[in-house]
Amino acid sequence: MEKFTKAFPSKPLKAKTAQSWALAGVVGSGNLEVLVERGSKPAGAMDCHVETSIPGYKASWLAALADFPHHYPAGGTKVTINDQGAPPVLVTLRLRQAYDHLTKGEK
Amino acid sequence: MTGTSLFHEQTARQRIAALVDPRSFTEMLPPPERLTSPYLAQLGIPVSFDDGLVIGKAKLGGKKIYIAAQVGQFVGGAVGEIHGAKLTGLFKAAARDKVPCVLIIESGGVRLHEGSAGEIAIAETMRAIFECRAKKVPTIAVIATDIGAYGGIGILSTCCDFRVMTEHGRLGISGPIVIEKWMGKKAYNSSNRALVWKTSGGKTKYLLGDADALVHDGADAIRDAIAKLLGKSNPVSLPAVKARQKELEKRLKRFGGTADPDAVWKAMGVRDIDAASLASGPEFAAMAKRGK
Repeated sequence: MEKFTKAFPSKPLKAKTAQSWALAGVVGSGNLEVLVERGSKPAGAMDCHVETSIPGYKASWLAALADFPHHYPAGGTKVTINDQGAPPVLVTLRLRQAYDHLTKGEK
Repeated sequence: MTGTSLFHEQTARQRIAALVDPRSFTEMLPPPERLTSPYLAQLGIPVSFDDGLVIGKAKLGGKKIYIAAQVGQFVGGAVGEIHGAKLTGLFKAAARDKVPCVLIIESGGVRLHEGSAGEIAIAETMRAIFECRAKKVPTIAVIATDIGAYGGIGILSTCCDFRVMTEHGRLGISGPIVIEKWMGKKAYNSSNRALVWKTSGGKTKYLLGDADALVHDGADAIRDAIAKLLGKSNPVSLPAVKARQKELEKRLKRFGGTADPDAVWKAMGVRDIDAASLASGPEFAAMAKRGK
């Protein structure tokens, strides 16, 4: 297991979201779950907590995560990830799904 | 969620949302609570925020229910300490509040990484289920995925008042691979899917009376089946248990020596095996009723 935490600068999330938290994905082989919650501080950063069963890929993780808050205003969110060997594209996809559910609801 | 989605392809949360009245579900101990397994963490295995079980209260057809759905993709939906405690608590709450409880099953049984805790949790949940039944509070198990209900969860599902199955669903105690390991490939070939589903699948379980409804693999059909059972209960009494024991003895006598599942179907009144194999769940149920 490898654990790490990093905050990435980002524009603040919209004041109103459909939900206060959202979950995407499931902890299965080659998959991961991403929990996005609003209300974390500071409002200008996306606070990421990763726990992965496969150690040694921190650089890839940080690259995949850093990309997200460039494209979406995600400041003031806390992102927690439980990973069981998901590829980087899936990390981005799940993050977007969770973010989408948070801001727009699950419809 | 669209009504056309196949139930067995949905996630646990999607299944609940598709079954209950719109926006009526309130999750208890949701992921932000981070109630995760302490055992998996010690073993270096990734944990899940809900420990593989979604529980909460909702309304179905305007009636209050408690509902739980297992997450089959997370360690096979297996029951660990937290998962089991959530399950026990939900059924205890159902008994206390006299609110029907629906369990959407997708589990291979106890999680081996925390075996003792899981076994105890299943025993405690069974006790809570019997508490519900003593108070005539309906308990309904839905078995609709190919992970099915096995091991302790297989037993637990048969403790509930009713079981709703689809043809994808499977119900048993030892899983097919386990039976093959113990009895040999000749006795039971676990890679023969037709054999596996004909011995433990929804159609056979319905025929033998272990499942109370056999429905389409869709939320609408499953909701209708649950709604019909919500007002009923199947209380445990000594005569009922004795009758059930007799029934099972009779079944063992009739089919105990049979190696061919088709023979069981035939003896249970299915005449056209090929047509019955191809029939959908409800078609099959209708055929079985008419004695075809």
